[in-house]
Amino acid sequence: MPRRRPSPIRRHEARVAYAFLGPVLVGFTVFVLGPAVAAVGLSFYHYDVMTPPRFAGWANYARLFHDTRLPGIYWNTVVYVVWYVGLTTVFGLALAVAADRPMRAIWRYLIRTSYFFPVLTSLASVSLVWQYLYNTDFGIINYYLGLLGVPRIAWLTSSRGAIPSIILLGVWKNVGFNFILFVAGLQNIPRHLYEAASIDGAGRTATFRYVTLPSLTPVLFFTVVWGLINAFQVFDSPYILTSGGPGDASRTVVMYIYETGFRFFQMGYASSVALSLFAVVVVLTAIQFRLGRIWVFYQ
Amino acid sequence: MTARGTAGVVSRTSTVWFDRAIVLGLLLGGALMMLPFAWMFSTSWRLARDSFSLPPQWLPTAWRTENYQEVLDNIPFVAFVLNSLKVAVLITVGQLVTCSLAAYAFGRLRFPGRDALFLVFLSQLMVPQQVTIIPVFILIRVLGLLDTHWALIIPALVSAFGTFLLRQFFLTIPHELEEAARVDGAGYVRTFLQIILPLAGPGLSTLAIFTFNFHWNEFFRPLLFINTWEKMTLPLGLTIMKGYLGVGNVAAIMAGVSMGILPVLLVFLFAQRYLIEGVTLTGIKG
Repeated sequence: MPRRRPSPIRRHEARVAYAFLGPVLVGFTVFVLGPAVAAVGLSFYHYDVMTPPRFAGWANYARLFHDTRLPGIYWNTVVYVVWYVGLTTVFGLALAVAADRPMRAIWRYLIRTSYFFPVLTSLASVSLVWQYLYNTDFGIINYYLGLLGVPRIAWLTSSRGAIPSIILLGVWKNVGFNFILFVAGLQNIPRHLYEAASIDGAGRTATFRYVTLPSLTPVLFFTVVWGLINAFQVFDSPYILTSGGPGDASRTVVMYIYETGFRFFQMGYASSVALSLFAVVVVLTAIQFRLGRIWVFYQ
Repeated sequence: MTARGTAGVVSRTSTVWFDRAIVLGLLLGGALMMLPFAWMFSTSWRLARDSFSLPPQWLPTAWRTENYQEVLDNIPFVAFVLNSLKVAVLITVGQLVTCSLAAYAFGRLRFPGRDALFLVFLSQLMVPQQVTIIPVFILIRVLGLLDTHWALIIPALVSAFGTFLLRQFFLTIPHELEEAARVDGAGYVRTFLQIILPLAGPGLSTLAIFTFNFHWNEFFRPLLFINTWEKMTLPLGLTIMKGYLGVGNVAAIMAGVSMGILPVLLVFLFAQRYLIEGVTLTGIKG
């Protein structure tokens, strides 16, 4: 088709569209795009807020690669991300499959409510509660584990316990989100697929493996991508539960950015750490989209 | 939600008892999920010195209101609630306006570069807040808005997530309605206000509840932007309160947290349908 000048009606429609987009585009430019570009610029400066910025060249990036604390901090974050995404996905799926059967409406309501409610609460506030549950000597978690013969665990005060504590809290809080998604995903599976499987004589396991699981892959993909982006930004729970300790045992990348930028006012270096996190998230998300082409099955 | 699950076809041959055992297991698991809230609530009524009594007592031993009174007397708890309410409500109203306008343009209007622009726009969902927060902090400081609620409100008046969510809703509205309005001589603004918005009620409600809940719970930005005790929002105030009341008074802290969670519970009981629809729409149809 030959290109023509847009008709006056089309041009009017475009003008209206840009007017409607105006507020969001202005906000996006001022508070996201602009700051993102500024962050790149800032990473080449030393800036402590009080005195004017000094050009630093690649100094912040050189420091990034030689920072002896950063590998451990990234490792903590990655351990958190892997366990958090893995457990919320597996448990979310298992709960949804378990709940996907005939039952009274009241049970359905209670189950949905009890697993989903923690999702809506403030992570900071529930961290305050869990801090006491995790207490080594007086916490109820160790008390009940003690009844089962498990020796006291120093949940928040030992290097081995700190990250698992943060993972457990995160999984408890957000597993309901994936649960609800998988429930909806299961209901979207066309009934005739199950009937066909049944006619073919497929058993429970075969039906799950060849009908249910492939049909759920788009939801699975979403929960993994979304979970990963969010999990890399974990801050509230380690900040309140452990303050990153003991030592650096549970310090996450975002905590490190916060401390570098807003406690020690090294805004330039904090920006370069933040950009490294962004790069990691973008690369991992891109890899997931590439891999998704192989394993995600769209109907 | 239908009463009969999709696995029903498969489980026809299995016993009813198997299903019942699974449901029982799910209910017990659900009770386990609620235990932290139960402990929080029962501790909030107790004497401070009984907070750590073992074995744990799950039911409140007495209905002492002193812990709640202590929170209200010693810290500006009411101010925290009002601050959170102000910030969350203004952000919600702002996002409903800006996001619905943008979602209409992205979802219902045709203009050059629309799809490319939409993709660029959505890509910001991948940018961690920590990347932009330092320049935003500097900007807020230059504008003289540090330690004001505007520091929290203004940058949050637009949202990529909200635009995306509403666009998904708008796409489901039949085009015929719009064309009929157009034939009747309605302009874009009138079509938007009188046709699209009324039909997008559930979408707007979902976004409103999500946005309100998110900012009611927000911790990171208030921690950075707000320093004055009286201006703090609830999650920040409660966290700072822990240091202020001393670690000893767990009961009072639990009373504070309980009061903070109460509004969330109310919203949940009344708006569960919208929340679940919203989660589903972003995850399944997105």
